[in-house]
Amino acid sequence: MTDASLSLRPIGFRSPLRRALIWRGGLVTAVFAAPILIALALPETGPAVSAATRNLPPSLAHPFGTDALGRDMAARSLAALAVSVKIGLFAAILSTALAVVLGLAAALDRRLDRIIGVLTEMALGLPHFVLIMLVAYAAGGGIWGVVLGVGLTHWPRLARVLRHEAQTVAGADFVAVSRALGRPQLWIARHHLAPHLLPQVVAGFVLIFPHAILHEAGLSFLGLGIPPHLPSIGVILSESLRGILAGHWWVALFPGLGLMIVALSFELFGETLRRAADPREGVA
Amino acid sequence: MSLKTLKGLVPAALLALALAPPLQAGPVPPLVLAVGGEPEGGFDPVLGWGRYGNPLFQATLLRFNTDLSLVGDLATSWSLSDDRRTWTIKLRQDAKFSDGTALTAEDVAFTFNTARDAGGLVDMKILREARVVAPDTVELELTRPQITFTSHLVGLGIVPKARYGADYARHPVGAGPFRMVEWRPGEQLVVEPNPYWHGGTIPFPRVSFVFGAEAAAIALAQTGAVQVAAVPPAGSDAPPAGMRTLHVQSVDNRGVMFPMVAAGGKTAEGKPIGNDVTADPAIRRALNQLLDRKALVDLALEGHGRPAHGPADGLPWDQPAAALPDADPIAAAVTLEAAGWIDRDGDGLREKDGREARFTLVYPASDSLRQALALGVAEQAKAVGIAIEPAGKSWDDIDNVMHADAVLFGWGAHDPSEIFALHHGDFAGVAYYNPGYYKNPAVDAHLDAAQAAPDFKAALPDWQAAQWDGRTGFGARGDAAWAWLVNIDHNYWVSDCLDLGPLQIEPHGHGYPITQGLQGWTWTCN
Repeated sequence: MTDASLSLRPIGFRSPLRRALIWRGGLVTAVFAAPILIALALPETGPAVSAATRNLPPSLAHPFGTDALGRDMAARSLAALAVSVKIGLFAAILSTALAVVLGLAAALDRRLDRIIGVLTEMALGLPHFVLIMLVAYAAGGGIWGVVLGVGLTHWPRLARVLRHEAQTVAGADFVAVSRALGRPQLWIARHHLAPHLLPQVVAGFVLIFPHAILHEAGLSFLGLGIPPHLPSIGVILSESLRGILAGHWWVALFPGLGLMIVALSFELFGETLRRAADPREGVA
Repeated sequence: MSLKTLKGLVPAALLALALAPPLQAGPVPPLVLAVGGEPEGGFDPVLGWGRYGNPLFQATLLRFNTDLSLVGDLATSWSLSDDRRTWTIKLRQDAKFSDGTALTAEDVAFTFNTARDAGGLVDMKILREARVVAPDTVELELTRPQITFTSHLVGLGIVPKARYGADYARHPVGAGPFRMVEWRPGEQLVVEPNPYWHGGTIPFPRVSFVFGAEAAAIALAQTGAVQVAAVPPAGSDAPPAGMRTLHVQSVDNRGVMFPMVAAGGKTAEGKPIGNDVTADPAIRRALNQLLDRKALVDLALEGHGRPAHGPADGLPWDQPAAALPDADPIAAAVTLEAAGWIDRDGDGLREKDGREARFTLVYPASDSLRQALALGVAEQAKAVGIAIEPAGKSWDDIDNVMHADAVLFGWGAHDPSEIFALHHGDFAGVAYYNPGYYKNPAVDAHLDAAQAAPDFKAALPDWQAAQWDGRTGFGARGDAAWAWLVNIDHNYWVSDCLDLGPLQIEPHGHGYPITQGLQGWTWTCN
């Protein structure tokens, strides 16, 4: 095992990977910030209902059109995306924290490893969405139901990666050397473990985002997530079924596109981060 | 006119009829209806079939005319004893079941006694006994006076004693206008005219009811496969070719139920009772004055509905004087100011004794109409400084909070026992009836007086007095126990060739009520 295979690859200033990282990171930042900034300017319950502006197609006053209750779809979609981003953030924090704790525990203790291994197998073996539905339902639905549902089900993959990575590092020659030199455990953790694990953690964290956002849409679509009068992409898409029958395409198109852009930008950024962190990756 | 000329007129009239251009030349096609209404448990009246519309297979003792007056069907006369406890009902002699056997007083007594004991959806515990007193006469003895027992005379289809058994619900036999050909649960029900029916002939060789989602009904109507389809308000004004849109008025209403007592109580199961904001009559009355119900009809029903001012708008037992003029924010503000609800800190929200004018309005999350109404009400209430927070919940969750939070409920029946159950103190906390724990002794007295009336008509003034008797009542002018919002129009697409005759104001339950006059429908095309 050579040293290079174990460290974060140095990225050249002009390398395509670095450019991809900057470009996709910028996209994510914009996607993250835009709906939140706009949503801050709107009332928490979303735009007001009005009988006078029902089912209007897109126009200058209502760039995304209006829905069956006369609400401005642009405001409603952005408010919904802000909720999506919020859910993604909390679910990703919860899930990553669980993965780090469980992954490291498994790497450092044999008995714990076995227990966590069984847990991981079980969580991966059960149908993913069924588990989320169960947790979300048990948590009483709403934003926190979705956060718990996604957070409690998305740790296993990252936990596995971290466990493997930690075990590899712990068994590496340079760690043995550090031990022999009498370095304390904490020093080894800081100088050897952390640099190897951090990129994985960050990539895993970002990759949970699109999952959480899509699952929120799915859960709310099924009526287990956000209550239907609050802004949520899942609720909007579920309602749009009726609108589409009546020819109101705009109630589905723009929020659907918005969801796609948000999910995709996180996915791309996470993928790039993962590649930057993965020493075995050949070309960026 | 001599007998001789009369004799001569008969063949002439017959000839004229034969030569006249045939009104119904060509075969009348079988009818296909997509109006929902499939009963989960089958077609057993004892278990509740027929409560929401035409029982098809069974005949009832009485029925409602289109103006909701009572007329006899199997009964030729009916009377209530002086102590208001015993109904004596004389039956027609020519009624036969669809298997050809005669319907007798035995069958009627059997049906009522069975319904009393079955404890199904038909709550008939008040019946002591149904007795045969002559081959054509039945007596129904009640444990106490209850004029709304007439709803059972109208609603309970008579089953044959000899043919009633475990599989009756799937293979109904009755003396109604139709008999069953086939029922495939979840898909369709096919019926044909009952040749033994006492009411005359029905022009249609068959009638099929197709069940399934609303979208399926619309698709079928667009291909011309159905003659009547129940459709949602959105897009109902664009019927397919060969069909017309029918908006039928209803008492299928929606309104806001207010918790009427101060917070702090608990039910036996530990659910909270009471709400300090909605317990204040000024809040409830102000909302009744404030709400622009016409705007709500426009918002939630695309204009296909009527503003609702009470639980029985337009029915014989309605009291229009109980309503307050609405869409009047100034009157609402005056009511609130007079009661001490004033916005002292300028945040747009009124307060009284340090309590903000803020409460939760719960709606069933699965019901988009009630969601729209909840949002509309909340939006309008902002204008007078009342913060209403909509909350979408499952029915299970609503059960837990409905004594402490305002809830968007829907009612509407051809039966005044509904306004009894919604407002009588004895029904406080019973099922969904009086979740707000409303109790006003004066209202209870009027409701009890109505139940003790000598006949249905005589009860009407008492039902009306319960809503507003000049001093008090459950209506908006009195206690304002509810803020009724809208009566939903039931929307149908009907074939241009189909004449549905006169229509009644329909009760709760979209779709199936249109079949009430099915046996009188006619086909007007060649």
